[in-house]
Amino acid sequence: MGDFFQLNDLVMQFGGLTAVKDFSIELQAGELVGLIGPNGAGKTTVFNMITGFLTPTSGQVRWQGEEITGFPVHKVTAQGIARTFQNIRLFTDLTVLENVMISFHQRIRTFFWEAMLGFPTYRREEKRIRESAMAFLQELGLAHLAKEKAGGLAYGQQRRLEIARALATRPKLLLLDEPAAGMNPQETNELAVLVRELRDKYALTIFLIEHDMKFVMGLCERIKVLDYGITIAEGTPAEIQSNQAVIKAYLGEPK
Amino acid sequence: MSKERRNLLLNIMGILVLFVILYLFNEYGTDYQIRILNNMAVFITLAVSYNLVNGICGILHLGPNAFITIGAYTSALLTMSAAEKQMTYIIVPLVWPLNVLHTPFVVSLLLGGLMAAVFAFAISFPVFRVRGDYLAIVTLGFGEVIRVLANALQGVTNGPLGLKGLVPYTNLWWSWGVAVLTIIAITKLINSSYGRAMKSIREDEIAARAMGIDPFKHLLMAFLISAFFCGVAGGLLAHLITTISPTLFTFFLTFNLLIIIVVGGLGSTTGAVIGAALFAWGGEALRIVERPTDLGFLKIPGIPGMRMVIFSIILMLVIIFARRGIMGRSEFSWDWLLSKLGWKEKGF
Repeated sequence: MGDFFQLNDLVMQFGGLTAVKDFSIELQAGELVGLIGPNGAGKTTVFNMITGFLTPTSGQVRWQGEEITGFPVHKVTAQGIARTFQNIRLFTDLTVLENVMISFHQRIRTFFWEAMLGFPTYRREEKRIRESAMAFLQELGLAHLAKEKAGGLAYGQQRRLEIARALATRPKLLLLDEPAAGMNPQETNELAVLVRELRDKYALTIFLIEHDMKFVMGLCERIKVLDYGITIAEGTPAEIQSNQAVIKAYLGEPK
Repeated sequence: MSKERRNLLLNIMGILVLFVILYLFNEYGTDYQIRILNNMAVFITLAVSYNLVNGICGILHLGPNAFITIGAYTSALLTMSAAEKQMTYIIVPLVWPLNVLHTPFVVSLLLGGLMAAVFAFAISFPVFRVRGDYLAIVTLGFGEVIRVLANALQGVTNGPLGLKGLVPYTNLWWSWGVAVLTIIAITKLINSSYGRAMKSIREDEIAARAMGIDPFKHLLMAFLISAFFCGVAGGLLAHLITTISPTLFTFFLTFNLLIIIVVGGLGSTTGAVIGAALFAWGGEALRIVERPTDLGFLKIPGIPGMRMVIFSIILMLVIIFARRGIMGRSEFSWDWLLSKLGWKEKGF
């Protein structure tokens, strides 16, 4: 058993409702794994349990050999797990560059009073942050928009900025929650290329939720299917496509 | 010469010009004018530091009057001599060691600020467990608690009698010196990575957490820094008015500050400065409306409190017609001013 990343029997109950039941998965470093399922299947709940937004009712989140279940969100991020959001959550009134610069804050080495007093140590760090953030924008083709307000970007650009921002926290595991939602087919294709490139360049492990089947099947090496919080299938894209339980969950029983 | 160097030079020149103007007022101005300028500086300090919490962090904090009270009393108690204290505390004697402590004005200001920050720290844990309206209610309650305590703890605050006959240490140099330092320090903080983190919490707390920002740490930081400067301004206020009592620090003070930063533009330091300056000046200019007026055909008796009515109307008009206030979230910059003046970017 590798101990890169493991979820062991995660259960999430909201009152009487079991949103996710006995969810387990193990990711190897460098994998690209998809999580699919009909609406309300509990996919985002799984992400929220991993990142600390929800504390699982039972079960474990293990990261690099240590248990991180129930860690506060910012500590999970500091461990090297970053995410994007299904409904885009940018800092809309800040500039594109500032959005990415915020991700560097968790590693800041100077103290606030150094910033308040205008120390050169702080100014150097600010310059370094600005340059590194620009590099990420360049990477995602957003550099020309650096000074624009994030809220003013086109939809596809906002999705890219979310990825840039998550990448800038320097994660080892990147969780993408419906990255292709609302994109046209051409944008979706570009995104698939980008995701692969980023994985190779930054040695990322990627775990993603997506509804666009073409995107998921073309991109992911392994797929897990959730329905009503229960794992109904797991396997390669080809296996999933021919799985009866999956077809039933998506299309219903043949009459 | 780079743009940064140019802006730094312009900033220094701006401050020099300000102090030349202050010098002229100090030498040739009337007491009344000097008084308004002092008030203006104190309100600028208060508004800029209050804006750090309400405008930058996006938290509706309604208790700055508590921190001003704490700063004012701490500072006043430290500058009064032992003999004065004995004369003042006629009902209940002042507790030890406050009755013998005596420090220079500048030390009393700093300790006033620190004391306010200590209290801010103490209440921060319950305060930041909640958000939004609930946080507003908790801080509002804290402001009231401090006012009631100031009334009740006679052995510390001399109760409703208050403290009288403080030495009027606060002059134009102190008040404006503190105001300028506050503006510089808070502007630098806002424009730093820490300030960005605070803004990210305002914009979207969930996303900020996911990007590794600890909301509690940064809200606490803003809250303490804001309380510190409010405390210092409280000390200045005490030694400006020279008489303090609990009635001076009611919720009205907070309400005025809220008007200032909302009218100026929530989230803009420039707006806070403009708002505070207008408020301090307008508060005096509007005294006309409280005076009995004789229009020949109509006699209006003086109505005390009329100014507050006008301020409230202004606030309502701003909320209806200019929701983001005078400045919105924009800040003054030399680049903007120079381009307005038709300055062309030269080779540097």
